[in-house]
Amino acid sequence: MKKNLYLLIAVFMVASMLLAACGGGTQAPAPTATEAPAAGDTPGVEPTETAEPTPTYLPPATPEAGKIQVRWFVGLGTGTDPGQQLDQKKIADDFNASQDKIQLILEVVPYNSATDTLSTEIASGNGPDIVGPVGWSGSNAFYGQWLDLKDLIAKNNYDTTDFDPALVNMYQTEEGTVGLPFATYPGAVFYQKKMFDEAGLAYPPAKYGEKYKMPDGSEVDWNWDTLTKIAKMLTVDKNNKDATQDGFDKTQIVQYGFDPQYMAPFHLADYISGAAKVYTGDKKGEYKAALPDGWKAAFKWWYDGMWGPQPFIPDGAKEQSADYASGNPFDGGKVAMAVTQSWYTCCIAEAGSSWELGVLPADANGKVNGRVDADTFRVWKGTKHPDETFQVLAYLLGPSAQALTKTYGAMPARKSLLEAWFNDEKTQYPFVKNWDIFTVDLVYVDVPSGEGYMPNWTEAWNRTVTFQTLMQNNATMDFDAEYNKMIDDLTVIFNK
Amino acid sequence: MFEELSNFKLRIPGKGRNLTGGERREARYGLSFISLWIVGFLAFTLIPVIATLIFTFVDLKITDGILNPLKFVGLQNYETLFKDSQVWNSLGVTLKFGLFALPVAILFPLLLALLMNSKSLKASTLFRSLFYLPVIIPFVAAVFLWGGMLNPENGWINQALAAMGVAQASLPRWVNDTTWVYPSYVIMGIWGVGNAMLILMSGLQGVPTELYDAAKVDGAGWWATFTNITLPMISPVIFYNLTLTIVELFQYFLVPLVVNHGTGEPGGATLFFNLVLYKTFFTYQSMSYGATMAWLLFVVILIVTIVLFATARYWVYYASESNR
Repeated sequence: MKKNLYLLIAVFMVASMLLAACGGGTQAPAPTATEAPAAGDTPGVEPTETAEPTPTYLPPATPEAGKIQVRWFVGLGTGTDPGQQLDQKKIADDFNASQDKIQLILEVVPYNSATDTLSTEIASGNGPDIVGPVGWSGSNAFYGQWLDLKDLIAKNNYDTTDFDPALVNMYQTEEGTVGLPFATYPGAVFYQKKMFDEAGLAYPPAKYGEKYKMPDGSEVDWNWDTLTKIAKMLTVDKNNKDATQDGFDKTQIVQYGFDPQYMAPFHLADYISGAAKVYTGDKKGEYKAALPDGWKAAFKWWYDGMWGPQPFIPDGAKEQSADYASGNPFDGGKVAMAVTQSWYTCCIAEAGSSWELGVLPADANGKVNGRVDADTFRVWKGTKHPDETFQVLAYLLGPSAQALTKTYGAMPARKSLLEAWFNDEKTQYPFVKNWDIFTVDLVYVDVPSGEGYMPNWTEAWNRTVTFQTLMQNNATMDFDAEYNKMIDDLTVIFNK
Repeated sequence: MFEELSNFKLRIPGKGRNLTGGERREARYGLSFISLWIVGFLAFTLIPVIATLIFTFVDLKITDGILNPLKFVGLQNYETLFKDSQVWNSLGVTLKFGLFALPVAILFPLLLALLMNSKSLKASTLFRSLFYLPVIIPFVAAVFLWGGMLNPENGWINQALAAMGVAQASLPRWVNDTTWVYPSYVIMGIWGVGNAMLILMSGLQGVPTELYDAAKVDGAGWWATFTNITLPMISPVIFYNLTLTIVELFQYFLVPLVVNHGTGEPGGATLFFNLVLYKTFFTYQSMSYGATMAWLLFVVILIVTIVLFATARYWVYYASESNR
């Protein structure tokens, strides 16, 4: 009897381990709430290279004697895919063929190790001359390391008239002029027309200033309050009752009204309450986290949208489930509205052919708070060849901008290149009519950026993302206590 | 003091006499043979350890550069450390996980070892090899494999549960759920217990058979034999495993880094101390604060180890000591 028992246990264990070895494949767990594709450089938007075949990284070119070498570091944002590497190499080769004084050397580093590599290079005094494409988050990790371009812009009479002044202004920071516009990603409401049709609701406005027509015929302002009301009407349980109806079963929701697609808390707060500096004090030891009350209200709005009596936003588990496209719920076709950036067109192939763009809702005071993600190239302040590096920068932002923005899937900051970008988008999504919204939205730049500088940026940002995942995964969270804890932690992090 | 130093002569420890010329020559040869090791030890262990201690008193970021003068900040890093709830939370996370993982990490290999040591088990060599096999698989590969198996959407564990009739909504979300993430990690850890099992087996095989024979003559049953003979006799091995496991738990790092991408998700439940330490050094680039955390970890492990050794006299049985 005892012998048989031993044998049974042993066989069970061996079978378990053999099954373990065979099952599931090597696929990593579903991406987490804050992960989005590599388009742009949004915080928490880290390319999931581990789940993909390891790309081959091009070796840097050999330095040529008699030429000044300008090193171009790629890896802090997009630009590391094999195809992108080849496109960038061609651009570098074209530049090198065009003149005989400067050699542009492309250095592509895997995204996951790019921060460490750049840190080490800078620490050893061997930093690259030019870094990019890089967004606010990648740049903030190296705050204080970027060259103020003001003098070089003046010295070279660099023409900025092809850029929207709001975008040029976006790069004026405490560090000086730390960049010039290259690629922009304004935000908009993405919505599914067929879901609105099924619910008998009017579509979100296509122009700023237009009213929204409610089901009872009344016309109201298109603001976050209105969006919340219709998001609840668009949230449906398996019995086809919406969140505002009696008998709605919030445990059996089959369609949600809204999702803050690929957003972190500060992004959403920017949209709902407006851009703000998040700390006070001007030196270590005196910094203090100072988030506006409106931001706290925005976080609470998100939390209640998931866990309140009439939920209309998918929680973390739902958002990550296969039914909701494993973290990309709007693309899963079960979310009626999402607010996100223009780079989202990269990742929306499965959302069907009924989606459309609407204008951003206004806040309670009638003010539209937009948000613009942006990628550019930055110059390391330790560069030994600032003039030559600026020549390369001008080349990347000028003659190469169209090819580069195309390979990065980015909306060009140059007005003269916008038409070509829109034509590409229209070819890919012929059913979408309201592309102009993205152009108009460039006016609504968040200054300071929702990803703007705060001391110890990366750690502080990660702390807010931890708060986000807690909100998304905990229905019984003590919101005020956790919020206050985050604020206290931020103050400590700012002063580290 | 200088006089003492000038009078210093090599002595054989405990013997109180000076070295002879031959012995001195032999010592010089010995030192020359290990000199390379000493250089390596100084360069890669001792000097870095001292450097990290110095870092705790300065403000140093990786990007500051190696040629810039160090900025002395006194005890500021330690002050910040004591106010930093993230650090203490991460220590809490580590301890909380330890409460789950430690009993399993000790008991499961013990059970396996008992099973493998049983005379009733056929083909024990084959089973032994099979249970040890996972140890030779690179740990990162094993973690990826388990990550795939525990995938809430397409991992075979949830697929099997679904096939058994568990409702889709009730399926555990494993590493994406604050409730299930620690059990998931423990399950992954179980796969690699082959080493501990092997060590315990060697302990079990070292128990003198005459003790069992005597117990049998006295009419002791399985449980009495196990608690009165087996367990005390292998207690030094259990103590060894326990010490190593506790140290490893404090340094737990790779699984949350690989499986949950080092983000601390879900909801900060996987922000283990060592992960925060790693991120502080390399992601947040703060060499000085990271070094301060490293020293805190060293002190905590030291205290726990001392406590463990202090308690050992009450439950670890050393036959050689009892014979004295």
